[in-house]
Amino acid sequence: MAVTVAPAADRVTPPRVDPPRPVRTRHFVRLKLRLMGNNLRGQAWRISLFVLGVCCGLWYAVTGFVLFALPALADEPAWALPMAGIGGGLLVLGWLLLPLVFFGVDESLDPARFALLPLSRRTLVTGLFAAALVGTPAVATLVATAGLVVTAGALGGWSAALVAACGVVVGLFVCVAVSRAVTSAFATMLRSRRVRDLAAVLLALLAALLGPAQIAVINAAGRVDLDAARTVARIVGWTPLGAPYTAGVDAAEGRAWAAAVKLLIGAVTLGALLWWWSRSLESAMVGAASGGPAGGRSVPGGAVAQLFPRLLSWISRDRYGALVAREARYWWRDARRRSNLISIAVIGVFVPVMVNVGSRGMVDGGDFDASPTVLSGSMLFVGTLAALTLANQFGFDGSAYAANMIAGVPGRVELRARAVAFSLYTVPLLLAVSVVMVFFLREPAWFGVAVGSLLASYGVGLAVNMYLSILGAYALPETSNPFAINTGAGIARSLLGFVAILATAVLGVPVVVATALLGDLWLWLALPVGAAYGTGAALLGAYLAGDVLDRRMPELLLTVTPRR
Amino acid sequence: MNRSAPAALALRGLVKRFDTKVAVSGLNLDVPVGSFYGLLGPNGAGKTTTLSMAVGLLRPDSGSAWVLGHDVWASPLQAKQLLGVMPDGVRLFDRLTGPELLAYHGLLRGMDPAVVDQRARELLDVLALADAGRTLVVDYSAGMKKKIALACALLHSPRLLVLDEPFEAVDPVSAALIREILQRYVGNGGTVIFSSHVLEVVERLCTHVAILAGGIIQRAGTLDEVRGDRSLEEVFVEVVGGRTATGEELAWL
Repeated sequence: MAVTVAPAADRVTPPRVDPPRPVRTRHFVRLKLRLMGNNLRGQAWRISLFVLGVCCGLWYAVTGFVLFALPALADEPAWALPMAGIGGGLLVLGWLLLPLVFFGVDESLDPARFALLPLSRRTLVTGLFAAALVGTPAVATLVATAGLVVTAGALGGWSAALVAACGVVVGLFVCVAVSRAVTSAFATMLRSRRVRDLAAVLLALLAALLGPAQIAVINAAGRVDLDAARTVARIVGWTPLGAPYTAGVDAAEGRAWAAAVKLLIGAVTLGALLWWWSRSLESAMVGAASGGPAGGRSVPGGAVAQLFPRLLSWISRDRYGALVAREARYWWRDARRRSNLISIAVIGVFVPVMVNVGSRGMVDGGDFDASPTVLSGSMLFVGTLAALTLANQFGFDGSAYAANMIAGVPGRVELRARAVAFSLYTVPLLLAVSVVMVFFLREPAWFGVAVGSLLASYGVGLAVNMYLSILGAYALPETSNPFAINTGAGIARSLLGFVAILATAVLGVPVVVATALLGDLWLWLALPVGAAYGTGAALLGAYLAGDVLDRRMPELLLTVTPRR
Repeated sequence: MNRSAPAALALRGLVKRFDTKVAVSGLNLDVPVGSFYGLLGPNGAGKTTTLSMAVGLLRPDSGSAWVLGHDVWASPLQAKQLLGVMPDGVRLFDRLTGPELLAYHGLLRGMDPAVVDQRARELLDVLALADAGRTLVVDYSAGMKKKIALACALLHSPRLLVLDEPFEAVDPVSAALIREILQRYVGNGGTVIFSSHVLEVVERLCTHVAILAGGIIQRAGTLDEVRGDRSLEEVFVEVVGGRTATGEELAWL
């Protein structure tokens, strides 16, 4: 429009545009709170899950607070540094690893949803960061680490307490920033589906190894002395992991310069993390790229021959066979399912080895000998765990389960086919576990007990989890971020799992009791009886739960369909 | 319902509530055999809810659905045999390749493996999906996913085809192909009911139209009965109660 001469300007008034009001951090925080509130609205079970989550957080917060404050409470000033350095370092490590491996990130403020809004990167990052601070884990961490302020205050007075308080706040910021930056960077790296699937599997492996690592650490902790702990804590204290948390102790022990430098380390780390996050945020906002149609090679053989894996060529080419073949392919092709299989493999070998072999040599007090009963008990655990994978078997499918409903698949056929397909992977695995165990214990005669207990508990577990998968199903999110879970689903998952484990254990205990009571005779009977017990339980389970499934199909579909 | 020849799809008094919101409130509809039926409605009118209840995916709070004389909720097996369904917003088993998915659906329907092979090959050729080879359905484009879903619904040659938004996110070439296949299917005696909010497609294809708004059928009948001497768009906007002209409000545009 001409600016100099505008004779028509008095007739056509250009629309008045108000300058946009700046978006502030508190808008993001309010949005997060509103989302949390709406998520709870009108659903009693969501509210109870939320309360349960808060209680868990509170429990950890109080425990942590006591631990961190212990050097002051118990008047052991020498332990202040190890507690702050090692404890704080573990805390940051937890924030780094746990979201990747276990819990996922609460993506209620998904960066992708802000892609179209005219927000500067700075506004977005500070806003999302502030919103990430709102939540049970962050509050629990803050409360727990507040114990450090007590310790510092008791040892060095008000000034040290103030420094420790600064350190605690900086530490919390580092924790939250590291979890966000790392998950965001991973999600960006994993943009193609293939890479993402692979990473999910690797992370599952890592997760499965966490258990062994934990036990190793606890074993080491039993032998540790104060000097070694102080040395470790001193080193960790100068890394970004422990720097903010040990600043208070340094101030209390009179090294003001060290405290200042450590706070600076924390602040610089925080800045670097936020910068890193803001870089990966941009690509996360664009969303996952679809790889596009890949190989254009046509495949020999008809459609039906392609559906059935070569190892399944013996199965009948009908409805049941199609279900088994599809499930067998899914256990391999679906990253979520495959990572579950890997977890079973690692835990299934590791736990019994620890319990049986460990009870002989690794743990102090060699008077506790491995026996068939201990073996049977640990096998009960492995079988239970393997079957537990099916606890949300329909949740893996999500809304795709509608196809089976439309085709009118009877519940019994459905459940039997799913159990068989899963067993194609697990039964060889369980047999391998038995062989490994017998080999480790050098007791070939116990092979029957191992396999019998495994098959019995696995079969009983299948039956229990068939019911659970129908009555306690929940939706898994359909998202490009493999680490995202629905808010509250983590707690629901562990609760249901606990119920299933308990029920399976109760039903599987007769096998252990028989091992303890029947003596040598059982060494021969265990295999056939255990296998028959397990198979019978699984078949009966499919028969009975199949009826439940027939009645509840629409309701099941509704619960496994993710809400959008 | 006509005693001598049952309707291909008959819905009687269907009601569905979600929490407090009534999605469908007492819906009646008859889809005659051999008709090409368009179910029109604005977003949120209850189209998907209605069709889900009609095919047995969503349990109605009350009312019944009949497919060629079989009650979908009382005797689901007979009714589902006659049905081909393409739901919207529902995932396929997308970690399978196109041919694997078709084989799965065919065998699930109890078809003979040889017939499945032959029909799958023809469908993949006609729908131009044969080139996809080993590509998993999850990596297909949106249009390809619609086409493979349609192939799954057609594979067992059902007597009634229920399609939810078959033309959404489909490019013009694929849309033309889908139209042609559906017209041929109706020409051979099949019945199609599909939901849409694209009036042009409905006006061009359908013999019958129903307009759904606020959870009940507002108008239903043959295309000519419903639109009279006006355009379908005028009737639709009038029935749905939208506004046709903007007044002073958007002056800043």
